[in-house]
Formats: sequence, structure tokens, C-alpha cells
Amino acid sequence: MKKLMIGLAVFLLAFSVSLGTSQAQPKEFVVGCNFVLSGPGASGGIALQRAVEHATEIINKEGFTVQGEKYIVKPVLYDSKYVPAEAVLNLEKMLGQGIKYIYSLGSGTTVPLVEKTTAAKVFMMASCSGSNHLTNPKYPYSFRIYPTNEAAFAVYPWLVKEYPQVKNVAHVNPSDEAGYTESETRMKCAKNVGLKNVANEYFKRGATDYYPVATKVVAAKPDLIDFGGTAGRDQGLLAKALREVGYKGLITVHYSSPAEFSRIAGAENAEGVLFPNSVAEPKTPGQQEIYDWHVKKYGPDITGMMYDNADPLFMLVEAVKKANSFDPVVVSEVFRNLRWNSIFGPAYIGMESLYGIKCTLCRPIPCGIFKNGKLTHLATLPWPSDEEIKKLNAD
Amino acid sequence: MSGLPFIQMFITGIIMGLIYILSALGITLIFGVMRVVNLVHAELTMLSAFFMYYLFEVWHINFFLSLILCAIAISLLGLFFQRYLYKPLRYELLNVLIIATGAGIALRSLGWIIFGPLARDISTVFPGMIRILGTPLSMERAAVALICLGLTIGLYIFLYKTKTGKALRAVEQDSEAAAVLGIRIDRVYVIVFIVSCILAAVAGAFTGMLFAVEPEMGSEPLMKCIMIIMIGGMGSIPGAILAGLLLGLIDSFSETLFGGEMAYIISFALLMLVLIIRPRGFFGYQA
Repeated sequence: MKKLMIGLAVFLLAFSVSLGTSQAQPKEFVVGCNFVLSGPGASGGIALQRAVEHATEIINKEGFTVQGEKYIVKPVLYDSKYVPAEAVLNLEKMLGQGIKYIYSLGSGTTVPLVEKTTAAKVFMMASCSGSNHLTNPKYPYSFRIYPTNEAAFAVYPWLVKEYPQVKNVAHVNPSDEAGYTESETRMKCAKNVGLKNVANEYFKRGATDYYPVATKVVAAKPDLIDFGGTAGRDQGLLAKALREVGYKGLITVHYSSPAEFSRIAGAENAEGVLFPNSVAEPKTPGQQEIYDWHVKKYGPDITGMMYDNADPLFMLVEAVKKANSFDPVVVSEVFRNLRWNSIFGPAYIGMESLYGIKCTLCRPIPCGIFKNGKLTHLATLPWPSDEEIKKLNAD
Repeated sequence: MSGLPFIQMFITGIIMGLIYILSALGITLIFGVMRVVNLVHAELTMLSAFFMYYLFEVWHINFFLSLILCAIAISLLGLFFQRYLYKPLRYELLNVLIIATGAGIALRSLGWIIFGPLARDISTVFPGMIRILGTPLSMERAAVALICLGLTIGLYIFLYKTKTGKALRAVEQDSEAAAVLGIRIDRVYVIVFIVSCILAAVAGAFTGMLFAVEPEMGSEPLMKCIMIIMIGGMGSIPGAILAGLLLGLIDSFSETLFGGEMAYIISFALLMLVLIIRPRGFFGYQA
């Protein structure tokens, strides 16, 4: 009988411990990720998926506390296929599930969401350009967390100083929301630093042959060709076509994976190409950490967008912690005023001078050049002041 | 506009046209003989490029041996589709169209999962540049254009000068009469699929070398293929050649002169015009 009683007591103790454990299970903070996971834009979406996976792993090791309760992040992935209608459908599903925090990729698939997310008072952070179509006082819960077209304000003043031989610039962009936004900002900025815009061409993203656009651009005789919002394999193919039709001048490529670029363009065509906004090799402990994580999990071919999207989820969780609330309205205000030590250096949400509200991530811009077969770090460009941006963006 | 190199545009157009033809021939052949729109052809092209990448780039197998291995692998895969997807559906146009669309999407999605987000490149086996009428042109583009031309002529000879080719054409014209004459229809279908898959494999290997290797690489050319087939006439090889060259030249001139989007508008306008004036295309058979 005594043995039975002891056995029963042990069982009850074990049961209560297990019950206690299950009761202490952290709750989930759901973030709906509307990424491009298939189709021509999938390389960017998969990079973001990995960045979110990396951040989630780290955040969930310890979890975080809001109003005395422990939480972990639970990203829920949706594939927009870079189709606006698909992105809207995903958003409706997310809203139906009560998701209040959205992480979106691509201006073409984010701009159609912003009216709905604003009306539903849902927090949205987007990795894309789209300028004031996404970020303005009308949309107080919408943020852009990736310096895209605005990076031109840091890059162009540096370019004219470092490369005084450059007088004429040509812009080549994809014919979509991102491309038109990029082109508009970059043309204004180039003009305001004293350069002449000699061509502004668009191509269909994911096109097969770039000889036609290369032929037209080269005929305008530019000293510099700015690839603006051109991304992924299009960058390498465009550079290859430009070199093959005889262009010998400077090229600037943004948001790139240098290894992929040189593979597709060919090492000899990649030589001398400038990479503003691309990490050459890890320069900060944060960059090193994410690089090591990627090598271990997916191999050394890390894409530029992985670095670019390393911080936003950490920033969001920090804002939620600081707000001690999951109310998107409250969290948006905290996020807007957050100071963050990003993997690129000090970062903050700014660009009030351009958009009338603090809404866009501002951070240092790494800049490299492809030299002797590999990307070499050239400089880290500080983010310009609001006053400088106003001047550079003047019509 | 006066400063634009028109010779460059012309050469680019011819080369683009030949590349389009290479991609379109396989689909045209299958449609001509079997009345099946094999949309999976685009994904077979993509898979061939990836096979080529691994065989030639990663495992350093000789380029032409890699090409043969690719052709074998893609043929086996194509025969799998023919036997287990299309045959059970009795090659009915609409059913095959739906199943092929689904299979194509599934293969592309699988491609993203297996091969990841970064595009790859197959190193050129034709390095260097040449000049044609003073216009610079990479050796690889010139070589690929010649290979496309050679394959097109080869296919023409195969279809019109060999016994097997004649059997294929007999089935194309009247499969029941061909069967009565002792031609084994099932065997012809297998041959058609193998030839089409070899064309897909070659197209994948060379477009992978010219452009980039990634899961979506077949999607854009597929649209052009469909336009070529419709303009040239469903199932007509000479029609596909003429339409391919025409589309290549239109794309080159309109993209250079008016931009990429305009090229699509002009190409589709041509397609609509042809379908209105001559619904069966340049060389299509009267229904």
C-alpha cells in the first residue's frame, strides 16, 4: 500500500510538473510574411525567408515578454508570386486569421495592400521601394525597412567625388512600380549633383535577351549606367549584354549578390562594376554572424537581400517589447522612434523631409567594387541629413 | 534615333529569332503530330540547363558528353510524362493542357525548393568576340545561332527525307490512315517525344550558357513559343521558322526603339492580326 501511495505521489508530481510546463508554453506573436516565393522574383523572397528564419531562431531562443507573458515569434509564410492580386488575396487571408503584423516584399505587391492594412490598423513593414505610394502621413502604420531608391542620396554625392570623369548617366530599370520609383529618384539626384541624364530605359523583369536595351543605352554614350531597381539574374545578364555591345564605362549595381552577378555576367564583365548597397565581405559582428549562420545552413552563396533584411524582425520585436503591447497603433509609434544598432551600423526610421512622416529605414550604405575577380569593400557611406536629402530631391 | 546601330539590331533580331525557334520546334513538333500542347517543354528546358550545370560546371564532365547525358535524361523524363500523364488522358487537348500546366508549375516550384534562390551560369565553351559588319558579337551567341540553324535544318531533313520522318508526317496528316498502312502510332508518339525532348535538352544547355540557369528560365520563352506556333501555323515547322525569325526581328527593333513593354504590344498585335486575317497562321493546315 505504501509503495502504491509513493508511486501515485510520484505520478501526480510528474503530471503536475508536465502540466506546469505546458501552461508555461510561450504564446505566439504571429507575423504574416507576404513574400515572393515562386516565380521570377523568388530569389528575393527566399532570401527574406532565410533572414526571417535566422531572426526567429535567435529571438525564440529566449523569447520575449509583453505584459508579463512570454512570447515567441511565429512567422507565417504566404507566396505572392509577385502578382498583386495574389498578394491582396494573401492579405485578406491574413486579416481573416486576425494577423496584425505584416512583412511584405516587392513594391508591386505591397502598394496594393497599403490602403487595406491602414484601414484595418495593421502594422506593415515592406522590403521594397515604392516611395510615397507606401510611406506617407496617410499610411501611419506602413514602413519601408530597406533603403532602396533613397540610397541614391548617399551614393550619388560620393560617386561624383570619387569618379570626377563621370558626366553623363544612363538609368536602366525594370518596367514596374519599383523601376519607375527608382528611376524618378535617381534621375533627380543625378541632376542635383551635376550629372546629365542621357538615357532612361525600362525592360521587362525576367526578360530573356538584354541586347536590345543595351544597344539603345550604349548609343546614348553614358559614362555611368545606373541599374537602379534591376535585381537578381537580370543584373548579370544586363551587364553581360552591355559589355558585349561595347560599353566600357562604369556600372552601378544595387541590392546584389556579387557571386551570382559575376557568375552570370562573367568575371571579366563584372570587373570594375560598383556595388553600392551590397556587402562585399562581413565587416561587422552582425554581418559575420548572419554570414556564418548562412554558410552552416545553406552554404556560402549568401544573397545581398539576406543582409539587407537581417534587422527588421528584430526591430519589430524590440518595438513590441518597448511598447509592452501588441496594439499595432501603439507599436507603430514606438517603431517610428526606434534607434537600432543594425548589422550595417546605427539605424533609425526617418525620411520625414521626403515623405512627411518618419517611415523609412535609414542606415549606412556599404559600397564595393568588383576587382580581381571578387567584390572588395570600398567605403561605408553615412546616411545623409534631411537637409541634404531635400536638396538632392529638388525638382 | 539616328545614332542607333541598325545592323546591331538586325543581327540581334536574327539571333533572338533562332533562339526562339530552337525553343519552339519541340512544342511545334509534338503539336503537329499528336495535337498535344506540351507546356512541360519549358520545364524540360529548365531541367536540362540544371543537369548541364551540374554535369559540366560542378562535375566537370566534357561539354558534349554532358549534352548527350542531358538529352538522355530529358528524353526519359519526357517519356515519363507522355506515358503516365498524357497517354492515360488519351492525348485530349484540353485535359493535356490542364495537366501540363499543373505539372509545369509543380516542376518550377520544385526547382526553387531544390536549387534555391540564386541563378547559375554555364561557362561558355565559345569564348571571345567577333565582328560582323563592324558590329561586336560574342562568339557564344554566334555559335548558338549556328547550332540552332543546324538543328532546324537537321530536323527538316529528318522529317522530309527519312523513313521515320515520313511516318511522323503521315501520322500528322491522318493518324487513322497511317495506322491502316501499318505505321505504329504509339511508336511514332514515342519518337516524337524523344526528338522534342532532345530539342528541349539542347535549348536548355545553350540558353543556360547564353543567359542564366534558374527555375523560371523556361517561362518567358514559352510565351514566345506559343506566339510562334500560332503565327507560323499550328504544327508547321517552316511556319515556326518564319514566325520565329519575324518575332526575333520585331522584338529586337521594337525593344531597342521603343522599349521592352512596347515589344510585347507589337508582338501581340502581330499575333492578333495574323489570327484575324489568317486564323490558321502562315502555314497551318485548314481545319
